[in-house]
Amino acid sequence: MTLLAQYALTGVVTGCFLILATIGFSLTRQVEGFLNIAHAEMLGVSAFITWGLNAGAGWPIIPSAVVAIVATALIGLFIGRVVYDPIRKLGPAVVLISSVGVAYVIAGLMHAIIGTGIRTLDIPLATTYKFFGLRITNYQMIVVGLAALTGISLALFLNRTKTGLAIRAMSANPELAASRGIDVRQTSRATWLLSSGLAGLAGVMLALIATLSTDIAFHQILQILAVAILAGLGSLYSVIVAGLIVGIAMDVSVFWIPAGYRPLIAFSVVIIALLVRPEGLSMKRRS
Amino acid sequence: MNTVFQIGLTVLMFGSLFSVLTLSLNLQYARGGMINFGTVAYFAAGAYAYAIVTQEPPHGLDQYLVGLDMPWWVGFIAAGIAAMAFAILTGWPTLRLRGEYLALTTFAFAEMLNSLLVNERGIGNGTVGLANVERPDANILGLSENIVYALAAFALMLATAYAFRRLLASPYGRAVDAIRDDEVAAQAIGKDIARLRFQVFVISSIPIGFAGALYAMITTLVNPDLFSAEVTFFVWIALVLGGERTLLGVVIGTMALVGFQEVIRAIPFESVRAAEIAASAEDIVTGILFIVILRWQPFSALARRRQAA
Amino acid sequence: MTRDLLVVDKVTKRFGGLKAVGGDAGLSFSVPEGTFLGLIGPNGAGKSTTFNLISGVLKPTSGAVILDGKDLSVARPSDIASYGLGRTFQTPRAFPSLTVLENVMVGADNEGETLLSVLRGGWRSRERALRAKAGEVLDRVGLTERINDVVANLSGGELRMLEVARQLVRDPRILLLDEPTAGVDPSLQAKLSRILVDLHAEGRTLVVVEHNLHFLLQIADSVVVLQNGELLSKGTPGEIKADEKVIAAYLGADHAA
Repeated sequence: MTLLAQYALTGVVTGCFLILATIGFSLTRQVEGFLNIAHAEMLGVSAFITWGLNAGAGWPIIPSAVVAIVATALIGLFIGRVVYDPIRKLGPAVVLISSVGVAYVIAGLMHAIIGTGIRTLDIPLATTYKFFGLRITNYQMIVVGLAALTGISLALFLNRTKTGLAIRAMSANPELAASRGIDVRQTSRATWLLSSGLAGLAGVMLALIATLSTDIAFHQILQILAVAILAGLGSLYSVIVAGLIVGIAMDVSVFWIPAGYRPLIAFSVVIIALLVRPEGLSMKRRS
Repeated sequence: MNTVFQIGLTVLMFGSLFSVLTLSLNLQYARGGMINFGTVAYFAAGAYAYAIVTQEPPHGLDQYLVGLDMPWWVGFIAAGIAAMAFAILTGWPTLRLRGEYLALTTFAFAEMLNSLLVNERGIGNGTVGLANVERPDANILGLSENIVYALAAFALMLATAYAFRRLLASPYGRAVDAIRDDEVAAQAIGKDIARLRFQVFVISSIPIGFAGALYAMITTLVNPDLFSAEVTFFVWIALVLGGERTLLGVVIGTMALVGFQEVIRAIPFESVRAAEIAASAEDIVTGILFIVILRWQPFSALARRRQAA
Repeated sequence: MTRDLLVVDKVTKRFGGLKAVGGDAGLSFSVPEGTFLGLIGPNGAGKSTTFNLISGVLKPTSGAVILDGKDLSVARPSDIASYGLGRTFQTPRAFPSLTVLENVMVGADNEGETLLSVLRGGWRSRERALRAKAGEVLDRVGLTERINDVVANLSGGELRMLEVARQLVRDPRILLLDEPTAGVDPSLQAKLSRILVDLHAEGRTLVVVEHNLHFLLQIADSVVVLQNGELLSKGTPGEIKADEKVIAAYLGADHAA
């Protein structure tokens, strides 16, 4: 029983990571209107910038992480402006396929610059704590903590600030938002920065709790897609719930089936969801 | 000079083989309006079916459970059936999903198959795979085996292109085009959208199965690494490159891409690092091609309609 | 006493909390075989929604639509079409990858559209016959010069004629036309009017939604007036023109005196 509970706990951690990784993805999906496959690669970009500064140049971890996140946000903005904006009028399918191209380019660049193989951050080993017979490391707690913090900040941002409200308006109905005087370009810019920044944060988390290899992004994309689709077009809250469901399902399933199938559990959850309730956990259907 | 001939032959062989996949993708997407990101799964199903059907029964340290030791042509047919079965199984519940979602479910199913092949060693020895796959004696007409297989691949491609062309030129093809253009209007004239889509989806998977069998014959080896999502994206890039308007374009695009890869592979690299960088460069260039071509020459299926004469 | 070909029986349609069609009792009217029924009403009356409910694009929240004795509740739009119902859309729809002629040819119910038939061949001779039939229909709607043209070159009025042609080649028992004169210039309207009168004379059942009352009230047999999704009035064109309720509903709108 404790083993199951332990898996559930790890599942919560995985879930929190997935929430961080997917919020940005959901954001671009709702505001920009397409599934950005390259989003997963941004996690890798951030993770490796952090590694480069930390293990490579000897910087302490926090400045490395901050620089990585900011850099990732800017890179994401650049790609959004240069690659996606000109082709958005061609429809979500074209942009989806183009984003696969972007993913290829980023992955190729990372492989070229960094080579293959596993890298590790130059940080102290994880300390494990025990609560009620369950184990959790300090880094895992950081992930959970940051996810909670991000969730709250994001909720405040989206509900209280001008840009945040603009983003919400645009994700609900772009034409209406534009006609009501919302600066579409600026909101779009903000969305890219925010979304890529969040991917950057998730990438740093990944570097902290997982093993860093240059393939890492590809392995995440299935899970991110899973959470995003399960969450549907709803608010932040559905992403949180979806993330936790997928995370826990994935890790708890290890109790019964080989760990190699973990990512596929994520996807089975989604395929079933798509067939049974295409709008996911949210209440909304895209108009 | 010998290397040029070798490269040329390889391009013909694998270019034709993968052209079969691209042609099927073209049928599914450009004509059928369905986005399939799981193409490699039918390829894998065909290859593995062929290998399992023609393999000797397991003995000794073999981990796989089934080997039927049948002649190669039985394996070939089995490959087509296996691909078709996979298409039926995964297509039936999901084909009514919208474009992007269909892309994701087909992708997921392909990953599932790959995972099954890796984890269930009873199927095909897991990551080790099945080696010494049976192949027919190709030393006919005094030609070397390579040439015969290249010609076989070429023949398969021609047969596929012909079959699809005939299908699309018929009233059936007209109905398929109508459905892709405007579902609601097609329904208003009584077209059974679900049935036609499903049929196109399944039919286009069969040649991919055959190609998988041929691939297994050529490489005499099947293992899960050979059938990763990279194959699917390779074929997609080939489709984008060649344009989907003509079958010839589809084939040329595939050949060009295979040629590009072979040329890079033929360059002798001094270090592992240099080879790595070249492989990355390949990815980067193909990714850029993807983006650039889609921007300036998007598919007429998704972007603008048939241009005024 | 001709039988009813189409019966709309206490049909309601809700979208979320909004009741688009059918009041408390639901919308009910019937269309006897061979009639030419006009469906009119001010904007937002639910005319197109009613069409969508009949042709299967939408399913009723309650009530039933019955075509030739068949309950259409579980039927898909393509099934309903194959039962003999044809419809055109408010904004004309066409198949841009096909030529004008092919657009009509694809409309016909075609055994050549099965895989078996492709395998067996022999569809070529049927194609010849089909081409001829399509040509006839296109001639009837006045699109003969455009036969091999691409859809992109057609004007709005021509597109509408193409839609009508595509439905005509199927020989439907009942034809639903959604605002056929919208965006069509007056000369083409006259031709359209003649076509509808001819179709009616041939014994076809027609249901036409129109904003252009002048056009409709001249040629329809009977009229149903909707307002806010409910039946306001029904009767012959003469009765409707004099009906105070109808006049009030259209207050300010252009209508035949």
